[in-house]
Amino acid sequence: MPDDRAPWEQDSASAHYDGSASDLTELRELILGAERRRLEELERRLEAAGFSRETLAELLPEAIALRAGRDRQLARALAPTVEGAIGESVRRNPRPIATAIFPVLGPAIRKAIAEAMADLVSSINRALEHSISPRGLRWRFEAWRTGVPFAQIVLRHALVYRVEQVFLIDRDTGLLLAHAVAPELTATDADLISGMLSAIRDFVADSFSPEREAGGLRRFSVGELTVMVEQGPQAMIAAVVRGEAPDSLLPQLQDTLETIHLQFASALAEFDGDTAQFAAARPLLEECLAREMATDRTREGRRRVVWLPWAIAALLLALVLGGLALRSRLRWDRAVARLRSEPGIVLTQAERSGGTWHFAGLRDPLAPSPATLLAGLAVDTTRIEQSWEPYLSLRPELVLARARRSLAPPAGVQLAFSADTLRATGSAPLDWVASAGQLAARVPGVSAIDLSAVSTEMPPALAQLQREIEGEQVLFRVGSAALGPTARGTATRVAERFGQVEASAAAMGIRATLLLIGRTDPTGSDSANQALSRERAEAVLAALATRGVSRGGASVSALGTTRPLPAGTPADRARINRSVSFEVSVGLPGKEASR
Amino acid sequence: MIQKKVCMVGVFGTGKTSLVQRFVHSMFSERYLSTVGVKIERKPLDLDGIAMTLVLWDLAGRDKHEDITGSYLRGAHAMLYVADGTRKETCDQLPELRALAREFAGDVPGVLALNKTDLTDAWALGREEEQAMAAEWDMVRTSARTGDGVEEAFRRLGRATLAGKETAP
Repeated sequence: MPDDRAPWEQDSASAHYDGSASDLTELRELILGAERRRLEELERRLEAAGFSRETLAELLPEAIALRAGRDRQLARALAPTVEGAIGESVRRNPRPIATAIFPVLGPAIRKAIAEAMADLVSSINRALEHSISPRGLRWRFEAWRTGVPFAQIVLRHALVYRVEQVFLIDRDTGLLLAHAVAPELTATDADLISGMLSAIRDFVADSFSPEREAGGLRRFSVGELTVMVEQGPQAMIAAVVRGEAPDSLLPQLQDTLETIHLQFASALAEFDGDTAQFAAARPLLEECLAREMATDRTREGRRRVVWLPWAIAALLLALVLGGLALRSRLRWDRAVARLRSEPGIVLTQAERSGGTWHFAGLRDPLAPSPATLLAGLAVDTTRIEQSWEPYLSLRPELVLARARRSLAPPAGVQLAFSADTLRATGSAPLDWVASAGQLAARVPGVSAIDLSAVSTEMPPALAQLQREIEGEQVLFRVGSAALGPTARGTATRVAERFGQVEASAAAMGIRATLLLIGRTDPTGSDSANQALSRERAEAVLAALATRGVSRGGASVSALGTTRPLPAGTPADRARINRSVSFEVSVGLPGKEASR
Repeated sequence: MIQKKVCMVGVFGTGKTSLVQRFVHSMFSERYLSTVGVKIERKPLDLDGIAMTLVLWDLAGRDKHEDITGSYLRGAHAMLYVADGTRKETCDQLPELRALAREFAGDVPGVLALNKTDLTDAWALGREEEQAMAAEWDMVRTSARTGDGVEEAFRRLGRATLAGKETAP
């Protein structure tokens, strides 16, 4: 009977569902019938066109070649599929593609590395060529001593580490399968070293760990060199590292070894001394030829630079705080110095605590207020606590200030104090001069007052009388000292007014003096004129005496022709100089009167 | 490049090291033999146009106190047994050495160098004895002093390893 069921379906159906086989066929027809008919139709059509799978397989390569030769249509059509396929393959397992393109990439990378190395070495060489630093000289000496090129010595010293050689060694035979060496180095006898490494590995394993598979030799150091060994089931990898071997190297070696085991699985398994097939492993080994220069560490340095802003900020903060503290300290010192230097202030206590300043001491009431002084120094006076005991300072400045306050000298008088004596200069009303002596004696610190340089001013009450007296003049005839009727009238007025002056002055406790000044015209001899002028003054004085002016209150002055009075014409001048004129002055009793 | 690991085994004093000294390249000193127990050497060969290198593992000689380090034998492609024709006991121990080699390296080809042929006066083997050995071994008479037979021994070793490869599955 025709049955298009799969064999397993037939088996199970005949075993268990014999009776219901037709039901199942019916069910399948219901579900899959349409699709099956379409498949059959397609198959029929393909066969009709003469395209069986077999013929297609025959024709496909030729057809592709034919179309590819004609135009690029096929390439265009296939490109997305191929790209997708490669992408998918890499996603699933990158190794096959990586292995396929490795021979292309490897040499390119090697070339780039070699060029970069050459650049680096030559630039280091250049940089140190002219350097005469002790280190440069030492390295030059080492180059000369060992015969190694200078650049290589520099490189060796500048290196943090460098993987100089990588060996891939067959585990059992110890034969060298592949070997990579850093570009600027040459290595000889790698095969012997490889054998010896295996021997040493066996030696170490036999000597120290009887169970052969228990780890074995992983790492050993000789001087600057470290040999790192990674063992695999069929091969081992050994790296010779100069300098500080980084931790990252071991995983890299393991990874490389695993890759090699994977890629060269059959070659390793069937290895019988032919190393040619491991040439492709060399690029993998070369990847392990890593290196780090001391100069590369600048990156780390740069990372450290991240801290620099903080350091700068901290430094600035410290500077600001320090600056503030210093400024505060300077202000404090200045304030203390200012208070100490101020006359009338004795600072007995000066303290700073928590931003508040405490001052205590003695202060003359006349000394300036400490707060004012400190405000002048830009000190915050609201944070000052002060307590001052009043006292009297005998410092000259303070004595002078005290004297000024007591004496209240008028605007025209200047006071000075030295050697316990108060000296006044300038002009002052007579009443002030009269009282100054008494007042000064009461000022503490003043033992004497010198008023000799003070000119007294006429008290206002007497000034009118003085002007009237001094406006009078007694005129004489030529060569005569006799008083005429007019002259006698003048004498009477002067005597009367001077009497009033004397009375007023006496009330003020001062003394008034009348000066009679005799003159002559220019004719005649000087001596005669001198005598005549005196006669004229004496004559007037006599006339005044008879009119009540005491002789003690008046005096004469004979000028002759000296200091003549000015006038317009010579005749007038002669006339008014044949005269006696008057001056009134006041003074303290017992002292010479002054005008 | 074809490389083969060859181990040189023999009783102490059979002249293994002097035997090959003139023919091989070595970078390691004699001291290795007494310290590590092995010293690696290289012998390049050109066998009818096939360039190959024998990497020789010169193993410290066996003596009363110390046996050969078995693990050094591991993976060897061939063995170079060395016996001293002036000391019969060095020949007597050959089967033991071969058993040891087989234990660690499997049934690999071997060549026997019957050494010190220059010392004819002290020769300790009779003609029959030598013939018996030659029948049992792939044997070459060698002299470290004159160099006789050494190159031949290497060539035989080389061929043996290649033959081993050809017959390998």
